[in-house]
Amino acid sequence: MISQKVTFVEARGNIVRDCPGTKNHICCGYKTIDLVEGCILSCSYCILKSYINSPDIKITRDYDYIFSQLNVAMEKEKNHIMRFGTGELSDSLALDQRFDLNRPLIQFFGEKKKALFELKSKWAYIEHIRDFLNPYIIISFSLAPQSIINKEEKKTSPLYKRLKAARRAQDAGCFVGLHFDPIIIYPGFEKDYEYLIHDVGRILDLERVIWVSLGLLRFPPRLFEEFLEKRRKNLLFGEFIRGEDGKYRYIKSERIKIYTMLYNQLKSKLDSLFVYFCMERSDVWKAVTGINLDNNEGLIKLFDKRIHDLYGGAL
Amino acid sequence: MNSLPIDRINTHDKRFCITYPLEDASLCASIQKIGIILPVILLDTSPFIAVTGFKRLEIARQLGLREVPFITVDITEQKALLFAIHDNIQRGLNLVEKAHALERMLHLGFSPEELSDTLNILGVNSHEKIIKALVELASAEDSLKHFAVAHNLSLKNIQRLLRFEVNERSSIIDLLSTIHVTESTIREILEIFSLIKLKNDALPLDIFPSASSQELLKKLKAIAYPILSSLHEQLHDLRRTSALPPNIDIKVDPFFEKEYIDIGIRANNEEDIYQALEKLHRLTDERIIRRIFDLTKGNLR
Repeated sequence: MISQKVTFVEARGNIVRDCPGTKNHICCGYKTIDLVEGCILSCSYCILKSYINSPDIKITRDYDYIFSQLNVAMEKEKNHIMRFGTGELSDSLALDQRFDLNRPLIQFFGEKKKALFELKSKWAYIEHIRDFLNPYIIISFSLAPQSIINKEEKKTSPLYKRLKAARRAQDAGCFVGLHFDPIIIYPGFEKDYEYLIHDVGRILDLERVIWVSLGLLRFPPRLFEEFLEKRRKNLLFGEFIRGEDGKYRYIKSERIKIYTMLYNQLKSKLDSLFVYFCMERSDVWKAVTGINLDNNEGLIKLFDKRIHDLYGGAL
Repeated sequence: MNSLPIDRINTHDKRFCITYPLEDASLCASIQKIGIILPVILLDTSPFIAVTGFKRLEIARQLGLREVPFITVDITEQKALLFAIHDNIQRGLNLVEKAHALERMLHLGFSPEELSDTLNILGVNSHEKIIKALVELASAEDSLKHFAVAHNLSLKNIQRLLRFEVNERSSIIDLLSTIHVTESTIREILEIFSLIKLKNDALPLDIFPSASSQELLKKLKAIAYPILSSLHEQLHDLRRTSALPPNIDIKVDPFFEKEYIDIGIRANNEEDIYQALEKLHRLTDERIIRRIFDLTKGNLR
């Protein structure tokens, strides 16, 4: 049941954009396709509430317009393997069964064979696109302990369904992505994440996980007030500071501690797993992984290498 | 001008009273000197009910005046309330008075259009959240109303106060009333109180008597942000140990996010520079600078 109004809008301006990134935090150089603006899942921590003025869902279906922008972007990029996704201003799959929005893009990327297209979601239904999947499509799921899904992601699919859908995508020949984002500090979160990572290792073929992102909870200042007002105890349990980008994030020593714990647990499942941090500082990267990254370019190169290792000359 | 014995007016009936507070020292002094000049408006009922002039009636009662100048009106209650609102509008209503006006309009069943028109005249946005907060304020305890008016609190800060239980906000108001606070300090203090309450399910109000808002904030931050407070304490100790001369300044990001520190030297001549560099060398050799970097890099000891 969709409570928001869904409108189809004419494509205007840049539908294909660089992920905005934030000041002094290392960004992975992802490209976003704003096919859908707004989300029906209403997660309690969702920052879309701050970015999007209207509660309505806006959908663009001018695929020729989008394809032409994708072609321009791909022609311009000479040095890196591009990664695109529709999960920046919405959930990639939540409306897809009903409106069949991603299939044309899935076919486009399958024919181009030049870039990867990631569908990032908390909605575990891929059966309608399963027959169209090709190696250039990455099916990704955001992962959180079930206790957090119950309280903060009430309208999303349960964890086991997400993991099983990811497994089905792997079985259909796709690589999958996993996004531990947002990671939330609450009483007992360490144990919950340990079990979650154990389930990931148990259910998925880790050799076919293309990337894993870790991103601790961060949010713009106006959400801090909202969390206080709505008594979001889980979301405000940890200790926050204001980052250089103005967003609230956990204090650095805590971030390092938690990232180190999760990074080591993931690597213990499969040492070659490609784990990256979403919007983190270079000193946090260094402290957790030992990797020196001075800027976005360094991380983008790590992605290039990862994709090259998995796809060889196919990209 | 006709006068009426005060005991013919039901002064307990405040259905049209939006004025807050009723105490007014300068009006009292004026009435004491030359009496009540402007007549109060009374609804033509038996006994009479005041429509305007609540401050005058209150002061008359306090001063023991037996009669007040008056005029009567024979109008509906809704019209009488609009008289009361518009009688006060030119002096500018405070938030509590706007809240009273709204609450009484709702009570008398004004239509949404009439409500919206009057709120517009009062400069109040008719957003649902704002209406809800004003209605809550109208029925809040006197200490909150008094504090709101005395500090000319914004509606945002009033909403923050309203999130607490009556006994909690009474303690918070007592605490804030003893120190000098600005609107932004109140916001910061209330946010931290809310955060502590959310995390701990209770407010340890008994430990907070403070000499200043800064001292209170420091105590609150130590509870709400223990790691950050500890980092600041460690930095403070390192600064003390380093005994920096006044012409050298080491600036560290207040949230310990930035990887770098800024070192500033104020020099009048080359000798000042040599001495400052020598001091910085020494601090580096003694690993004081290293320990400051450790704080900024999240390496807690």
